[in-house]
Amino acid sequence: MRVLIVEDEKKTASFIRKALQDAGFAADVCHNGNDAIAAAVGTPFDAVVLDIMLPGRDGLSVLRYLRDSKNTTPVLLLSARGEVDERVEGLNAGADDYLAKPFALVELVARVRALGRRGAGESKSAVLRVGDLTLDTITREARRDGKKFDLTVREYRLLEFLMRSAGRICGRMAILEKVWDYDFDPGSNLVDVYIKRLREKIDAGFEVKLFHTVRGMGYMMKEEP
Amino acid sequence: MTIRCRLTLWYAGVLAVSLLLISWAVYAEFAEQYHRHHHTSGESPLDEIGEIVMSVGLPAMVLGVAAGWWMTRRALKPIANLTKAAKEIDERTLGRLLPRSNNGDELDELAAVLNAMQTRLNEAFRQIREFTLHASHELKTPLTVMYGESETALRDEDLPPAERERHLSQLDELRRLSKIVDGLTLLTRADSGQLNLKMEPLRLDELARDLHGDAVILAEPMAVSVELAACEPLAVMGNAHRLRQLFLNLADNAVKYNKPGGRIVMSLRPSGRVAEFVITNTGPGIRADILPRVFDRFFRGDPAHGNDVEGCGLGLSIAQWIASAHGGAIRIESVPSDVTTVTLHLPLMAGGGGPVRVG
Repeated sequence: MRVLIVEDEKKTASFIRKALQDAGFAADVCHNGNDAIAAAVGTPFDAVVLDIMLPGRDGLSVLRYLRDSKNTTPVLLLSARGEVDERVEGLNAGADDYLAKPFALVELVARVRALGRRGAGESKSAVLRVGDLTLDTITREARRDGKKFDLTVREYRLLEFLMRSAGRICGRMAILEKVWDYDFDPGSNLVDVYIKRLREKIDAGFEVKLFHTVRGMGYMMKEEP
Repeated sequence: MTIRCRLTLWYAGVLAVSLLLISWAVYAEFAEQYHRHHHTSGESPLDEIGEIVMSVGLPAMVLGVAAGWWMTRRALKPIANLTKAAKEIDERTLGRLLPRSNNGDELDELAAVLNAMQTRLNEAFRQIREFTLHASHELKTPLTVMYGESETALRDEDLPPAERERHLSQLDELRRLSKIVDGLTLLTRADSGQLNLKMEPLRLDELARDLHGDAVILAEPMAVSVELAACEPLAVMGNAHRLRQLFLNLADNAVKYNKPGGRIVMSLRPSGRVAEFVITNTGPGIRADILPRVFDRFFRGDPAHGNDVEGCGLGLSIAQWIASAHGGAIRIESVPSDVTTVTLHLPLMAGGGGPVRVG
């Protein structure tokens, strides 16, 4: 998967590139709007990470230009303003996702990955599996080793989200957005407390732990002793 | 005494003195004529003068005083208008100018001078707001860089544990800093009227039930019980994101400032034309002398034991802004070492008026 990064701040551009490369993507960088258009028109990218505030031609104008010329490459907008109305404006201009600065790189990588999948058409399987834990997304039943768990609606949504992203780090903001529909940080340890509960229900009494805390970044589900 | 009373009294005094002077002059004139013609019969000049003064002078004076009362009222009317207009001006309405008569008199000049002063103040306020807004935007770029660098460093598997610890603690502080910057941006934009919330019909009872579920989980580590005592179906016009933020902030505070094994009770009821959401919590409470300041930005309560609770110091300021942006209000009452009660009022949806019935 090949990603175009459009960000005028050199340091930011360079660690975004590094993070995406570490995640296994090929990444190109350009620092202004006109270069971005030239690059996007010349090369078929799988996703574009586009900063709104750029010298000369700004990100929204680049985005409109691309959409007007029938370029449908998925675009993730970055912005330092991070206001709901700006997000709406960005999405109306044809962006596929929006991330406010400062962001965690894990969030950025997860979103770019999701954009790539959106393009490819992801298959949503009905039964999710991590280790010996299964989650039936139709009957909403979670079972591990024959044991059935009672989950609240919220716990179910959280578990489903974590299992769908199994093996990858899920940042707190991504969890809040997907499970709680918050697009702001509520400044509460809601996520941590819910994860703790799931852990107590599902991991307690089992040798192999499925929930893992990645300190400073978020949570991950994987099969590991 | 009002200026108007004072002016009228002076005016009455002056009229009375002039009446006396005129009477004296007329009396002198009459007396001279009387002596010259040696009248032996008829009234004495004193009686005659007295009669004239009583029948003409006094009524004329009363009329004059009344006219003076009316005139001062007219003359002072612009001051009354200025006072009324100035009373309505605060930091949000500085742009609203005082009314001017444009007749070029002293009061009109005063109004013009006050308006010029207000324009300068408004400009100063605008600059401060803009400064804060720019500052919060400008801070985000370096924050992003620092965040990214720490995170990139952490991804290195061979990072020595001490280094790892240092980056992790830095990430925590950066997260806190960006929360503060976000809150500041939000409040500054709200101050300068740049934020327009998209409102839609919302069911408050659904929000309250969701909140109850989250609060139960949040309160569990402190063994605090959470009860939803009443949850009547109520609809408001509101912004879902912001109201959820407000509700969660109130619940979060009720947990944070509680005591182990304490209690939280929430209720949602209609009260006249507003929805009343009340959340009470046990705990140390808030002293009466600092209660009025809890909505102030960055106010951290008692410095002696306020810092063990994590937060950005803007939560309640934001909550209050969200409430007032919905035409509502928040009130906090507290009995120290007993119960703190937060009451949120939000206007019920117009048209529906009362509680909604759901079929």
